[in-house]
Amino acid sequence: MSHFPKKGLWQQCPRCHRHVHRLEWGQLRICPYCGYYLRLTAKQRIQQLTTGNDFIRLPKLAEHTVPFTFPGYQQKLAQAREKTGLKEAFVAGQAQLAGATFILGVMDSHFMMGTLNIVVGARLRQAIETAKQRKLPLILVIASGGARMQEGILSLLQMNTVLAAYDALNAAGLFTLNILTDPTMGGVSASFAFAADIVLAEAGATIGFAGKRVIEATSHEVLPTDFQTADSLYRQGQLDAVVQRSNLTAVVSQLLRLH
Amino acid sequence: MLKDQLKQIRSSKRLSAATVITALTTDFFALHGDGYQGDDPAVTVGFGRFMRQTVLMIGVNRGATIQQRLAYHFGAVSPAGYRKVNRGLKQAAKFHWPVISLINMPGAAADVAAERTGQSQAIAATIRQMGQLPVPNIAVFLGEGQSGGALALANCNRILMLGNSLYSVASPEAVQAILKNRRQELTAYLPMTAPQLLKLGLADQVITEDQHTVQRLQRALTTQLTELQTWSPAKLKQQRQAKYLALVAPSD
Ligand SMILES: [Zn+2]
Repeated sequence: MSHFPKKGLWQQCPRCHRHVHRLEWGQLRICPYCGYYLRLTAKQRIQQLTTGNDFIRLPKLAEHTVPFTFPGYQQKLAQAREKTGLKEAFVAGQAQLAGATFILGVMDSHFMMGTLNIVVGARLRQAIETAKQRKLPLILVIASGGARMQEGILSLLQMNTVLAAYDALNAAGLFTLNILTDPTMGGVSASFAFAADIVLAEAGATIGFAGKRVIEATSHEVLPTDFQTADSLYRQGQLDAVVQRSNLTAVVSQLLRLH
Repeated sequence: MLKDQLKQIRSSKRLSAATVITALTTDFFALHGDGYQGDDPAVTVGFGRFMRQTVLMIGVNRGATIQQRLAYHFGAVSPAGYRKVNRGLKQAAKFHWPVISLINMPGAAADVAAERTGQSQAIAATIRQMGQLPVPNIAVFLGEGQSGGALALANCNRILMLGNSLYSVASPEAVQAILKNRRQELTAYLPMTAPQLLKLGLADQVITEDQHTVQRLQRALTTQLTELQTWSPAKLKQQRQAKYLALVAPSD
């Protein structure tokens, strides 16, 4: 269930500032006036990319573990759980779409900005390894601000361990597809985000390594208006396609058919 | 104090990668450029003789003088720099040269050009190539290392840290910003110092800093390399993965 209706039935569009009714946002959460995409929850993504209710969560996904006592972190985690109804920022399962069976993993930006920590990394490796064992394609919907600072160096070490698992899946000859959504940054962008056979981005997504504010503060450069946008990365040859949200199911279906 | 430690690490008097390369190797030849976009002087990649064999050395340059610091972008390695590293790693794998990386670097290059020229993919490629090397690799933290760039250069069989060096997820300043106003030092909450990371099992050896630091480092590298060179390529790859997996596995 979406936990957003608590805010009420009307939500202001961050881009055109109109007040839009929940029904008008629709299942894909697109502003009817300006086309702005609200960020989707993991549950909404799974619905978008799965036929009917054909999503079977992987059994025994890694659970909560906090390595260090970073002040305020437990409360942040509790708030994120309350807000999203999820235990962590990544969910994976076996899914079906267009007659094809695959492993679908989804990061949820509503949960501490989808940041990479011990549990998210463990779940990612679990999803990757399950795809390898079951000889199924892997589709990841990525949304992450990068490494979760509250888990320190152990968040950073998710980058090499997840990438190593991902590379092993590619070496096993299984199809991998990453869909970069808003935002795809930092340690996620610089490890497994671009490791797939096909890398798509959802239109409007911000994708990059360093954050815009950090770049502005460090380099004192004026950032181009299209900086770190999916469209600009596409022009630079870093993406295979930029896909409209309403078209994503069709494109993923096509890729599954061809593999 | 962390503040003093950072000051020391970032000082122009800090033991530099260039000094270590000069002290440890003979006949050093530096690669130039990424064969594509340009050369990044923030990182030296080259090979020379060490322990009567050729080794690949990777050293991040922060620069000592203002002119050097500007020329090296204060040690912020750009995508061209990582691609030069990747060229070197390819040769190391081809010619069976052990790899030694020397790390004292700020976070990633934070500018428009770095993002436009594929910073994410360049770092990911370095992480991958370091992890897949069929030869031993050893990372040496001479100063600070943080974020994906340092991780890429430290995806190694062994990690040696000078006593005052630091290895963290992001710059201590950036982590401090989310900690807000706490009395205690950041290191009280997150391990990032050499002794802390040794205890955690991430660092393998801490090198005492004194007037013999370079000699101590040389001895440590010799001992570690001598052991690692008896290992098969498969064992070297396997040990890297197993080491990091054990560290990141969730505990109950
Ligand atoms: Zn709108």
